[in-house]
Order: sequence, then C-alpha cells, then structure tokens
Amino acid sequence: MNSTILLQSIGFGITTAAVIAIGAMGFTLQLGVTNLLNLSFGNIMTLGAFASLIVERWHLGLVPTILAAPLVGAVASVLLARTLLAVFARRQNGAFELLMVTLAAGLIIEYTLDALAHLQVFQFQFPSGATVHLGPFVFTVLSLALIGAAALVLAALLAALHLTRLGKALRALSVDPKLARACGVPMRRMINLTWIVSGALAGLAGLVYVTNSLTISAGAGLNFLVLVIAAAILGGAGSPVGAVLAALVIGVATEVVAAFGGSYYSQAAGLAILALVLVLRPSTGMWSGPTRDEVTV
Amino acid sequence: MPTETSNLSATQMPSAPVLAASDICVRYGGVEAVAGASLTIPTPQVVGLIGPNGAGKSSLLAAIGGQSRAASGRVTFDGEDVTQLPPHQRARRGILRTFQTASVFDGLTVFENLLVAGLGDQGSRLRGALLRTPALHARERATAARAARVLEEFEISHIADHYGRELSGGQRRLVEIARCLMRSPKLLLLDEPMVGVAPHLVERIGEHCRAICERSVAILIVEHSMEVIGSICDRVVVMASGEVIDDGSFASVMKGESVREAYLA
Amino acid sequence: MSFYLSTIAVYFCVDLLAAWALNMQFGWAGIPNFAFILTQAAGAYMYAVVALGPSGGLTAFQHYILGASLPFPLPLLVAAGAGGVVALALGLITLRPLRRDYQAAVFLLFAVIASDVVSADVGLFNGSNGLAAVPQPFSSLQTTLGLGGYQWLYAGFTAVICLGGLSLVRGLGGSGWQRALRAARDDEAGARALGVNPAVLRLQVFFIGGMLAGLSGGLLVGFISAWSPGAWEYSETFAILTGIILGGVSNNWGVFVGTFLVQIAFQELTALFLPQIGYPGLSDALVWVVIGVLWLLVIYFRPRGILPERRTRMSTLQPSTSPEMSDAD
Ligand SMILES: Nc1ncnc2c1ncn2[C@@H]1O[C@H](COP(=O)(O)OP(=O)(O)OP(=O)(O)O)[C@@H](O)[C@H]1O
Ligand SMILES: [Mg+2]
Repeated sequence: MNSTILLQSIGFGITTAAVIAIGAMGFTLQLGVTNLLNLSFGNIMTLGAFASLIVERWHLGLVPTILAAPLVGAVASVLLARTLLAVFARRQNGAFELLMVTLAAGLIIEYTLDALAHLQVFQFQFPSGATVHLGPFVFTVLSLALIGAAALVLAALLAALHLTRLGKALRALSVDPKLARACGVPMRRMINLTWIVSGALAGLAGLVYVTNSLTISAGAGLNFLVLVIAAAILGGAGSPVGAVLAALVIGVATEVVAAFGGSYYSQAAGLAILALVLVLRPSTGMWSGPTRDEVTV
Repeated sequence: MPTETSNLSATQMPSAPVLAASDICVRYGGVEAVAGASLTIPTPQVVGLIGPNGAGKSSLLAAIGGQSRAASGRVTFDGEDVTQLPPHQRARRGILRTFQTASVFDGLTVFENLLVAGLGDQGSRLRGALLRTPALHARERATAARAARVLEEFEISHIADHYGRELSGGQRRLVEIARCLMRSPKLLLLDEPMVGVAPHLVERIGEHCRAICERSVAILIVEHSMEVIGSICDRVVVMASGEVIDDGSFASVMKGESVREAYLA
Repeated sequence: MSFYLSTIAVYFCVDLLAAWALNMQFGWAGIPNFAFILTQAAGAYMYAVVALGPSGGLTAFQHYILGASLPFPLPLLVAAGAGGVVALALGLITLRPLRRDYQAAVFLLFAVIASDVVSADVGLFNGSNGLAAVPQPFSSLQTTLGLGGYQWLYAGFTAVICLGGLSLVRGLGGSGWQRALRAARDDEAGARALGVNPAVLRLQVFFIGGMLAGLSGGLLVGFISAWSPGAWEYSETFAILTGIILGGVSNNWGVFVGTFLVQIAFQELTALFLPQIGYPGLSDALVWVVIGVLWLLVIYFRPRGILPERRTRMSTLQPSTSPEMSDAD
C-alpha cells in the first residue's frame, strides 16, 4: 500500500524491537542457565523504571537516572532468587511449581507498587533529541541510542559467553547442570551472576521502555513481559541471538500492524506470530518438548 | 500359573510373523541411532534384544511402538503397515510396551492404572462418561474384575490402593507389565524390565514373561543380563551401532564372534 | 443485609461453577490454563450483546458487535456456547507437546493480550468502559417481588444451575474418561502407549470447562448488568486457582471450601464489611498482594490443600458380587 508509511513503521518497529530485545536477552539468558521461566521479570523491569523515575524527580542528572534502573533491577533479581525462590527450590524444583512462585512474586510486587504509587500513571521526562534521516527511515537520537544500546548488550553478551572462561562455564551449566558441577563449575557464583545480569538487563529494559513510552505505571511490566516472553520462546531458550531476531520480527510486526490495521491489534500481532509458530512449528530442537525439568536457582 | 522356563519353539511351530520391521532408521538430529535394522517376530516367541549401551535398542523399540517416527523403513504388524500410525493407534492394534524408565501414572492408584489400560479407548470416551449406558457399566465391572485377577496373578493385590508415586522400583515394573496385559497385547515390548528390581522379583518377571508368551503373545525384551536372556528367550537378536549384527538361538549367538566384538568395541 | 447475602450467594455460585470448571482442566488434565478467565469473559460479553438489543439503540452511549434482544434463557445458552468455542480455539493453538511451564506462559500471553485488544477496540465490546445496562432476566418481577425478593430469586436460580454443574462434574469425576485424562496428565507417553489419545481428551475437557465458564459469566452479567475488562484481568484466574489449591485440587468439596475462603470470605466479605482504608482502590491492591502471599503459603505448607484428593479404593470400583474370581484360563 503506502510505502512511506510502511518504511516509517518498520523504522518504529526496529526501535520497538530494540526495547524488547534488551529485556528478551536478559530473560532468555536466565531461562537458559536456570531453566526457570521467570514471570516476575516484567515486575523487576517496572521496579527499575520506577527507580529511574524517582532519581529523575530528584534532579540528580542523566547518569544517575540511567544507572538507577539496572542497579535496582540487579539487586531485586538476585534478592528474589536467593530468598523466595531458594526456599521453594529446596522443597520442590519442578519447573512448573517454581514458575507459579515467580507469578505470585510478580503479583505481590505489582500490587505493592500499585499501592505505593497510589494507582497513578506517571509521566517521565527524557530528552528524545533531534530527528535523524537514515536512508528511508526516520529516527530520533534517542531511538538510535536505544538501538545502539541493544546492539551493545548483544555484543557484550556474545563476547562474554563465547570468549571468556566464565561464558564457557555458563553455557556448560545451561546444557547439563549436574555434569557442569561435576566438572568443577562454581555453580552458586555462576547462577548468582546470571540473576544479577538478567536483573540488570530487566532494569535497563524498564528504563528503555519508559524513555520510549514516556509513562509508567505499576502494571506496565506485564504488557512488556508478554512481548519479552514471546520473543524468548520464539527465539529459543538461552539464545541471545535468537531473542534479538525474534524481537525484530515481533517489533516490526507490531508497528506495521499499528500503522495499517489500527493500533488495537498491534500487540496481538506479536502474539499471532508466536501462535502461528506453535501451530506450525517443526518438531525439532527445543521445540520437541521436555528436555530437563529440573530448575537450578 | 507361571510354568517352568522351557523353550517353546521346539514344541510349538511359530506361525506367520506378527511383526516385521524392515530397514528401520531412526535419527535424532544428526545422530543415527538405528541404521537400517530389520527384525521379524513370530507368535509365540520371546525374543531377547541385546547390545552395548547406545546400540539403538530403545530407539528400535520406539520405532516399533511409534514413540519415534522411523526416518525410513517399514513396520508391518499383523499384516498391516503401521509405519505412519501414531503410538496410540498402534496400541489399539495390540502393540503394548514398557519403558526404560518405568512409566506409572503417579497420581492414580495401582488399580486405576490397570483400569486405564483395561477400559481402553472405548471405555474412556466422553460420550460414555456423559451417558453412562448400562453397556458401559457392564464393561467397567468386567474390567474391574479382570484387573483384580491380574493383580492377584502378579501377587500385588496388597498394593492395589497405593498411588503410583508410593511404589518401589520393582513394584513399578510389575505394575507397568500388568497394565500392558490388561489390554490383551499381541506384541509386548519390554525395555529393560529388570533394572532396579530386587533379585526375587527378577525371577518372577521372567516367569511372567514365559507365562504371557504361552497365551500367544510375542515378546521382544531388551535386557543386559545374559543369565536372564538365556533363561527366558527363544531367540536372541544382537544390535551394535544401530545395526542388527546377529540373530539366532542363545547358544549360537553366544558362540559367535560378533557379540564379543560388539561388546569389546 | 439480606441484600448483601443474596448478592454474595450469586457470586459464590458463579465462582464455584468457574472453579469446578478450571479444576477439570488444571486438576484432572494438568493444563495450566492461565487464560481461563477469557472463557468466562467470552460468556459474559456474549450474554450482554445478545440481551442488550441492537448497538446504538436504546443504549446509544455504547458500541458493540452483534446486538440482539433474545428472550431470557437463550442468552445463557449463547454464553455457554461462546465460552466453549473460545476455549476450543485456545486449546487448538496451545495444547501442543510443549513444556508445561512454557504452556502456562503462552496462556498468560493470550489472557493479557486479549484484555488489551478488547480494551482498545471500542467497536468490539465498548472498549475499556465495557458494557452496562444489560437487562436482567424477567426484570418485571422486580416490581412485584421487590428488589430483595428478586435478588433471592436470582440467587436460587443460580444455585440450581450450580447444582447442575456439580452433578456434571461428579458424573464425569469417576468416569473412564476422567481417569484417562489424569493418566495423560501424569505421563503422556505412557498413556499414549496404552491407546489413549490425550489430544482429543484435552480438547474435550477444554470445551466442557469453557462452556461451564461461559455459563458462569453469563449468569454473572445477568445479575450485575455490566461487564468490562477490569472484571477479567489475568489475576482473576490466579485467584480462582488459589482457591482450588487451598481447598484441594481434584476434590470437589475441597474446591468448594477453597473457593468460599478465597473468593467469598476473603475478597467479597472484606470488601463489604471492612472499613475503607486509605485512598479508594488501596484495599483492592492490597487484596491482590495478600492473595499472592496466600498462594505462596499454601503451596509451601499445604500443597495438597485442606481436603486432599480422595483415593479411589479398589473396593468402591469393584462390584460387590464379583462374577467369577476363579482362574479364567
Ligand atoms: N531423544 C534422543 N535425542 C538424541 N539422541 C538420542 C535420543 N535418544 C537416544 N539417543 C542416542 O541414540 C543412540 C541410541 O540410543 P538408545 O537409547 O536407542 O540406545 P540403547 O541401545 O537403548 O542403549 P541403553 O542400553 O543405554 O539403553 C545413543 O547414541 C543415544 O545417545
Ligand atoms: Mg535403552
């Protein structure tokens, strides 16, 4: 139809994808290593966004505002793992049971925040910069920064996973925890590190989310979580590259549908892709069903 | 009543093969677990399937039972090509199996475990559950009576009301085999039914195999213990690296070079 | 007081129907249907639009699809059908050989996104404002019986339907169908190897559960006359599930007790009888926090619930006069 609108929306889609991708990389990393689908991830993201909001309200400057979110996210994430999840994992470590624990934790975080925030939606000020024309696409400086941040995170994750001993240990852990432990991988440290990194990425994703949407409420994390989970499942658990590619597909799909089909269905488009993959999926790889049911948190 | 372990083949001539699997290949991603294995089993016969770890025995069983789709080859059962059928369709035709890690329904009692098998797909239809016809009632009564008999035969009546999750390893194996019998199999596939089982139960399971075979059921049993294989099998098939490398009576297979080579390789 | 009691009676019957329906799917079949509330919502919305009359008619302030004014029992049937159809569609997409936790996440995605779409698309069910002024059945009786009498009549009607639901659930409870469903829940490969086809059974339990849920939604909207996205957030499913787990999974009376404790004693009665604290809406938020905590406490201290699943003894399944116990062969 209208090719300028299409190109525009693809441009927006790439920005949206960057936002989703940062969250999805953190989510998928933690899913790959611990084998736990963490439904409180979106709430940790909200926590991070609120932390940045508070720092911004205090006028402490741009750098503390940016650092607050990942910091709070990392702390919240590792705290959750070491307290609540550790307690339940000691009793039963089925993947499904612990997923339910994270859902309850998320519910508690969401409504506690909601109660503290007096159920309000907050405005968030963040400079979006000048517009930049890049070929057929139009971006703002801010959206370019978001895309750059996503690319940076991906590069850093890949480098850490594939070039360092630490990364090798993490990958071993995600394939076979028992064997990895037997080979002398320091499990506790590795897993805590995973929670910290994924929590920091959740917080960062929260910040990135508010810079893009400019509003934040206690319930925001849930809608974001939906896209993050869709990207992580679509991209294959534990694969940062897969998560980014899936985020691109979902991000572009949501914006293109928003531009042409009415914005009501933009998020549904992301889900429709996941549904389609579920129905048509090949019966290989991670899709072939249960691999290991045991969770290590 | 379990009989003495005697080799039947001498007295009773096997009829046409109930199972013919030819040129079966099973692949998992890049791994070729079964590479063109062929096997025919007549009724009644107890066939032992042996081979080193990773030889592809369980995978061949899965190809016959339908748990894995064969990448190539044909599985003919009772004169019908079942290669494309899903596992529940094959079970309805009479291929029943146990698994290497015993499959017991943990949230059902032992008695209920047997009923699931005994009522079959017809007894588990939603229409039946809604209408509760007298015919269904009669069927349920008959199945319950039969389950009680099978439990007695396996001497596990005392655990009829135990949940699956409350059983010991050996009891799980017995329940799994008993469950298969509830469906009146024509071919029974047993994947290492003696692993983790107390010695006196091993003997009992062996006796049961012979007794089952006498009811005109063909049995294919995967087992690592040569002692067990020698005492209950009419015939032994040897696998290594996904291929069938020997097939014959226990004595002849033991004499052959191939077995030693396969296990030493 | 009597007014409150009849209201609560209706809520309890509606919640019970929903809880028994979800227990079929979650307890018997082991499907973590976090999109369950969608099926109740589908019933409620469809009841509303086929009872409200044409869109833009008498209630010009709201827009919606279809629009008809069917006489009373029909909207309820439409509601049940809608719940069943939505459940079936959902089942066809999600009931795949997928890890159970992934499946739960996918259901959650559907619940959240459906709520977003219905809130945003005003033409569908009037967006986030939702539908209001849904006619109550036989509302002329309100003048003869008085509002209180009418409420009790409705409560009685809901209770009758609830009993019908109970007898359905009990009938299915001991059946071979249900046993096969539970078998497939415990071990899919094992059940298939015995000739059970879990895919069909699960679609069936989805359809039946969806119909009951849709019916409950229809009953609810016929009573409260309004329905909007705020009434069916994903957390509602979580609340129903908390009741089921607290009372006892796969035990009808356990579900009864748990639903009463969580949905009525805790959610409704506190809302009605405790003084309002803080700003408006604070107590609602706190209720959800407590439900989250309650869930954690229950699965930590009493994972099988107050009334655990009853063991089906062999003696109850066997005819007392067994035909022949002698050797058959
Ligand atoms: N689900 C699977 N995915 C990938 N590879 C598999 C799978 N199942 C089996 N394999 C591989 O296929 C080969 C054959 O395995 P199989 O289980 O059939 O051997 P087996 O003869 O039964 O061995 P064992 O005596 O240890 O039970 C092995 O190399 C195994 O690693
Ligand atoms: Mg094996």
